[in-house]
Amino acid sequence: MASITRASVSMPSLSTSVNQSQRRISGLNSVSFPVSGRSMIPSLRLQRGLQVCCAAKQETVDKVVAIVKKQLALPADAAVTGESKFAALGADSLDTVEIVMGLEEEFDITVEEESAQSITTVQEAADMIEKLVEK
Amino acid sequence: HRRLPAVIPTPPVSASPFPNPKSQYCCLSRNFSAALTPLLPVQLPSRMETHLWYVVPDEVKSAPLLSKYMELLPQSERDHVLGFRGDQLQKSALLARTLVRTTIARYQVDGHLDPRSLRFKRNIHGKPEVEWETKDGFCPPPLQFNISHTSSLVACGVTMNSLIGIDVEEKRRRTKNNILAFAKRYFTAHEVEHLNAIPDSELQQQEFIKLWTLKEAYVKALGKGFSSSPFNTFTIRVNTAAQESFCASSGIAVETLDSPQNLTNNWQFALLELMGSHYVAICLERQETGGAGKAFPIKLTARKTIPSVEDELVSGTNAVVTIGGSVTQF
Repeated sequence: MASITRASVSMPSLSTSVNQSQRRISGLNSVSFPVSGRSMIPSLRLQRGLQVCCAAKQETVDKVVAIVKKQLALPADAAVTGESKFAALGADSLDTVEIVMGLEEEFDITVEEESAQSITTVQEAADMIEKLVEK
Repeated sequence: HRRLPAVIPTPPVSASPFPNPKSQYCCLSRNFSAALTPLLPVQLPSRMETHLWYVVPDEVKSAPLLSKYMELLPQSERDHVLGFRGDQLQKSALLARTLVRTTIARYQVDGHLDPRSLRFKRNIHGKPEVEWETKDGFCPPPLQFNISHTSSLVACGVTMNSLIGIDVEEKRRRTKNNILAFAKRYFTAHEVEHLNAIPDSELQQQEFIKLWTLKEAYVKALGKGFSSSPFNTFTIRVNTAAQESFCASSGIAVETLDSPQNLTNNWQFALLELMGSHYVAICLERQETGGAGKAFPIKLTARKTIPSVEDELVSGTNAVVTIGGSVTQF
């Protein structure tokens, strides 16, 4: 996940919704753009093909980690990061559904079953939450 | 019942069998540097039969044995096993792969008995299947299987022809969330009512787990992934004993919301209590019915195994108790 510092490149056609622009950006190392209602510069994640999209705030990731640790009864100091896969941590399907239910309550969102199935890591959960919270 | 010789002497396991298995256990009286006992071949299930095989991870403690199992797997599956966090999760993942390979190998399809030689693939929805060798004159058998595991039980169901889904869970599994809140969110109204009507919280918990395993087994039998059959789009109806005499079917049935009139007769269910500690739900595609849509009972053969060490036929014993559905045990 690339972290953003001060703007050295401006993106004139990016407005509030990052999702609108899935542009290929080459040679990019930092970006800033105005996002309505937020003063924070969101962190970006460079995916394959150098598409840029919004990844979740650290705070969201931390909350997901807390919910996962609680559901799976992991010790507080267990190493759980964005890349951690639920299944690898020991979550079976009932745990995963309970985790999703916990996320729904924590963030006041509704996750459709179709989306729930595609969440396999902490990062994916956090990204999905952010998308739903934005709505 | 048939039991092979020798329970493995089990040294206390202080070291993880992963990833360095050649540690302190070389001087077992049972010599694991020799080949494992050959897998006892078994006849393929007949069209109407279901075979259930299971392993109890706590009974498999030998590090050399576990490393032998690891050797049966291709590198990709070994990597997958090692990707789990911690010994216990790695062990049940290893035993799940071992159980499915050794079980299918026993049926000696095309004369093969080597678990190593089996290849697996996933269908377009992600359901695992055997990928048989394509050879001239070889027609792969319509062997169907499904696995399920928890940390305390690994199970594999096998049929010929019938799509099968199985799910296992500890009877005493507790949800972190309140059961009724969970059920209201994910189950159907009928199921919520069914659970709500149970005054005793312990029994309600158990009934919840039974419903969960039955619903999982159904979705796994369908093989189309969970998103194609969200849990709140179908109801598992469990008839009480009083109703059963009026009911043509087996006591457990599934009703899909989009076609509620047809109590979908395509699927039949069995619910078992294993070793007094686990529920095992089996969902099968119905092959034939008797008159008036009445289902033949599921013919079940259940075996407990430690692959290449010991097999034990347990159907008909109190290790396997039918608690739902119409089942005859052989």
